[in-house]
Formats: sequence, structure tokens, C-alpha cells
Amino acid sequence: MGRRTVSAPDATQAFGATALEAGEVSAVATSRGLAPEDLDVRLRADASSRTVVLVLFSVAVLWLLVGSIFGDIASIKLHWPDFLVQQAWLTFGRVRTAHLHAVNYGWATAALIGTSLWLMPRLVHAELKGAGMALVGGVLFTIGITVGIVAVLMGYTDGMEWLEAPRYAAGPFLVLGGGLVGLSLFRTVAARKAPHLYVSVWYILGAFIWFPMLYITGKWPTWSGVESAAVNWFFAHNVLGFWLTAMSVGAAYYFIPKVLGRPVYSYQLSVVGFWSLAMFYSLNGMHHLVGGPLPTWMITTSIVASVFMFIPVVATGINLHMTVVGRFGALRYSPTLRFVVLGALAYTAVSVQGSFTALREVNRVTHFTHWTVAHSHVGGYAFVTFVCFGAMYYIVPRAVGHEWPSAKLIRWHFNTVLAGISIYVIALTAAGVAQGMALLDPATPFEQSVIRAMPGLYGRTLGGLILTVGHFVFAYHFWIMLRMPRGVPRRSRPPFHDAQPVLYTREAAAAHGAPAQEATS
Amino acid sequence: MLPSSLIVIVATALFTLGAALMLIWGWRKGFLRDLDAQSRVIFDDRDWRLARPWESPAERAEREREFGVSLPADKGEWGGAL
Repeated sequence: MGRRTVSAPDATQAFGATALEAGEVSAVATSRGLAPEDLDVRLRADASSRTVVLVLFSVAVLWLLVGSIFGDIASIKLHWPDFLVQQAWLTFGRVRTAHLHAVNYGWATAALIGTSLWLMPRLVHAELKGAGMALVGGVLFTIGITVGIVAVLMGYTDGMEWLEAPRYAAGPFLVLGGGLVGLSLFRTVAARKAPHLYVSVWYILGAFIWFPMLYITGKWPTWSGVESAAVNWFFAHNVLGFWLTAMSVGAAYYFIPKVLGRPVYSYQLSVVGFWSLAMFYSLNGMHHLVGGPLPTWMITTSIVASVFMFIPVVATGINLHMTVVGRFGALRYSPTLRFVVLGALAYTAVSVQGSFTALREVNRVTHFTHWTVAHSHVGGYAFVTFVCFGAMYYIVPRAVGHEWPSAKLIRWHFNTVLAGISIYVIALTAAGVAQGMALLDPATPFEQSVIRAMPGLYGRTLGGLILTVGHFVFAYHFWIMLRMPRGVPRRSRPPFHDAQPVLYTREAAAAHGAPAQEATS
Repeated sequence: MLPSSLIVIVATALFTLGAALMLIWGWRKGFLRDLDAQSRVIFDDRDWRLARPWESPAERAEREREFGVSLPADKGEWGGAL
């Protein structure tokens, strides 16, 4: 009941969205070079997670837009302090916090949970268990994020960075929602039919074990004073490494080999990368408190742990990059690969940068400057968000049953977000160094440190606005995908095909004798 | 009087020791055996046989020798529809 019967010729459009009848599975599988049991497993896996994945992706895209606008407002206020000051809810302290919550929890977390829910059934060759439960969890999580951000805008806050959403308003929704999603994932793994657990499964399961521990620790209502600062950074740094990074790296370990059609360079390295992350990461957060009123040994231990991060980062970096080496041409054909590979490069970059930034000699310059904001955007955007985009370009067509309708919009999206984040990071990094040097110089008045950072702040706004344009392009494209009838391509001519690079230009099309209209549409 | 850093020490120890115990458990349960097969669990037969536009003729010939005749990719295979 409820299944749609799809004939073999339509299977291309129907694979992700529907299940086939038993007899057709065999026919379609044979025509596509798949063993019938392989096709059946894939169909059931994709169909089981379809609804919850699309709901979470839709929520994520909405929060991406809202978060981008909040981010732009906050950025403009840094060089135009009188901008939007008439309303309390639009003041910097609230808008900046709302931006952080919207993009980290509303966008990245929802997108990565959706990606994990789609990946897990495929990874373990089973249907998503408790898909309804996961859907309820996703809805509750979304309510929690919404309540938290509205509360922050109204002026209610718990006063800890990354944890501002009031614990008694948003907390129950987040805990219950996340718990239901996690339960669904663990039940799916328990019902696995795959003979082995792929490394992505470890990363995803790890994330769903670590995050509740972090959240409960961070939100425990008894911390105060210095203790509060220590717990704050224990949470804030670890939520990157154990939550966003874990799911993003897990996704990268799936999409890069899958698109390229070759296993990861060294599976042994992927095991080393995962377990060293699990064991060494948790003390890293204290390096945000270098110079603070905490025991020196504790800060030093954190710095040592940060340098230890070279082990998982180098292991993961080498592995992902060596998997792509010799296949960089594939990036022209695959939006997924382009985003995920660049995301993986950014992971290496931000991690190495983070290890060096933890050193006291570097930290004394960069601490309390815009450098830190640039650094966090390399991680949160160039790494995590790029992986999310790549994952969505791969998953959404398989969930709705038709391909993305416009290669041009994909190009616009990619080019704008790459340009935007490049401008943003370069401008703020330079501003941070200039600001830090000025702050260290006792002969330089404090105002000079602000003045020297101003060009970087303008660059930040410019980069942020370009990013926002890219996000609206992506959201529009995503909206078209959702509106198109399931399983029916809107256009007779595919916007990109296996033989036609997505970065195809009008000139290249003319050189190949292809109609320019098709090549650029 | 408990030190202000106690909670972070305890939480870090839990994370590290928990991971170590999980690693030992996974090792004993056999989750770290046959890593080569683990690395291939995400692929099905079609993945090995798909013709990829970035392949060189030599790479394609080698793949066909190992896995059989190439299969055409679907529209938007590499980030679009399946």
C-alpha cells in the first residue's frame, strides 16, 4: 500500500523517490547493471529516509537564509554602528547571537542530521528504523531552535557563547528531538544487513553519542565564574569537533569515494583518524582561554592536545586528498565532488591553522581579534557548509526523483559562495593580524587597532553579502526541486550530463559544436 | 573545595576513556578486521562499472578488464539525479 509502481524506463527518475514492485526490480536492475538485491536495498534505504530528510533539508535552507541576513546585519553594524539601532531585537548582541544559532544549529546541524539520516540506511544496507520517530525528532529539534532564537532576539539568554538559547525554553525540545533522531539511527545500525561498518557509521554514531554529553555538561545550571568559562569553551570547541566535524567528515568519507568510484586511499588511515579524534579532541577548547584565570597546566595541556590534532587531521587529510589525486578533472563534472573536496581541503586548512593558533606565541597576537572570526568561518563555512551543499546536491535529486534543473544556478551558487568566503576570510584574517599587532604595541592608542581593522570589516560585509546572494540562489533552486512533480523531469534536455561538465561554458560549447543554449542553461 | 577546572577534567577523562573503551570493545568484536572489505562496503557492482567522463582511455580499459563492460551514467549522476 502506498507504493508507486514505476515502469522500467522511468526508473531513472524514480529511484530515489519510490520503491518498485518485485518483478520490476529485477528488470530495472538488469538494465542498469545492478544485482536485483543491490537495487532493492538501495531503493528501500532511500525511500525509508526520504520524508524526514526533505523536511530537515527544507528547514535547514530556511535557517540558512535567516542566519545569513542576521549575519549581514551584524557585520554592517561593526562599521556602521548606527545601522538598525531603533529596535532592541536588532542590536548587535542579539543579532549576532541569532546568526550563530541560526547557521550552526538551524542550518548546519539540520542539514547534517538530514545527511546522516539519508546516509545511514545506505551504509548499513537497511531501511531507516523509526523514520516517523526521526521525523518527530526533527520537528521538535526545529521547534527548539526556533524558540531559542526568538528568545535570544527577545533578550533572554543563558549568557554562554554557543549556548545562549535559554535552557528551559529551548532545551527540552532540542534534547528530546535530538534523542529521537539518534534513537532512529542507532536502531537502524542495530538492524544492519551490511557485513561491515564503514568509517562514516563510526563518525555519525560518535556524533550522536558525544553531542548529548556536551550539551548536558554545557547546560548544567550550576556553573559560575571561571568554571563557567571553562565549561563554555569545553562545549563550544567540542561541538565543532565532535558534532559538526564528525558528521561532515563522515559524509566526505562517503561522497568522495562514491562519486569517484574508488575506495579511500587508505582505510587504515581513516580508522586512525577517527579514533585519534575521539581520544585527543576533548581538551582542545581550553586554548581559547590562553591568558585567562585558569591553571597554567590546564591551558598547556590543551595546547598540547591541539597540537596532537595533527594526527587525525593529517590522517584524514592525506586520505581524502590522496583519494582525489589524479581525478581532479572530476570536479568539473560533479557539483557534489567540487563542494565536498573543497570542504575537505578547508578541514585540513582550518585544523592546521587551529593547532598553530593554539600556540601561545601565535595566540598572543590573534586572541581577541577578528582572526578568530575568520578562523571559525573557515571551519564552519568553507568546511562544514561546503560539505552540506555537496551532500544536498547528491541527496536531494535521489529523494525527489529528478535532477537539479539548472546547471547555471549551480554554477552561480558555487562561484558566489566561493568568492564570498574567500573575501571574508582573507579580509578578516588580515584585519585580525593588524588589530592584534596594534593591541600589543603599548605606544599605539586603542582606537588605532579599530581603525586598522576597518578595511577588513568592510571586506567582511562584502563577503557576507556575496554569500547571502549565493544562498538565495541555492534556496531558489532547492524550492524549484521541491515543487517539480516527483519523478518527472521538467526539461527534456538535461542541464548537465555525464559527458558534459557542469562548468561548461558557452565558448566550450561552441568549440564542441553543441548548442550554446543547452550548454549554458 | 573543588577546583574550578574539575568538571572539565572529569568530562575530558570521560570522553577519552570512553573512546578508548569503545576502541577496545570494537577491536574485540571484530569491527577492525578485514579493513579492505570495509572500505568497499559503500559500493555496489554498478559503481565499479559506471563510465566516468574524466577517465582516461587506459583507465577505462583497465576498469573494464576488471569489472566488465562499462555502463552509461545517468543524467546528473555525479551530483544530480541517480
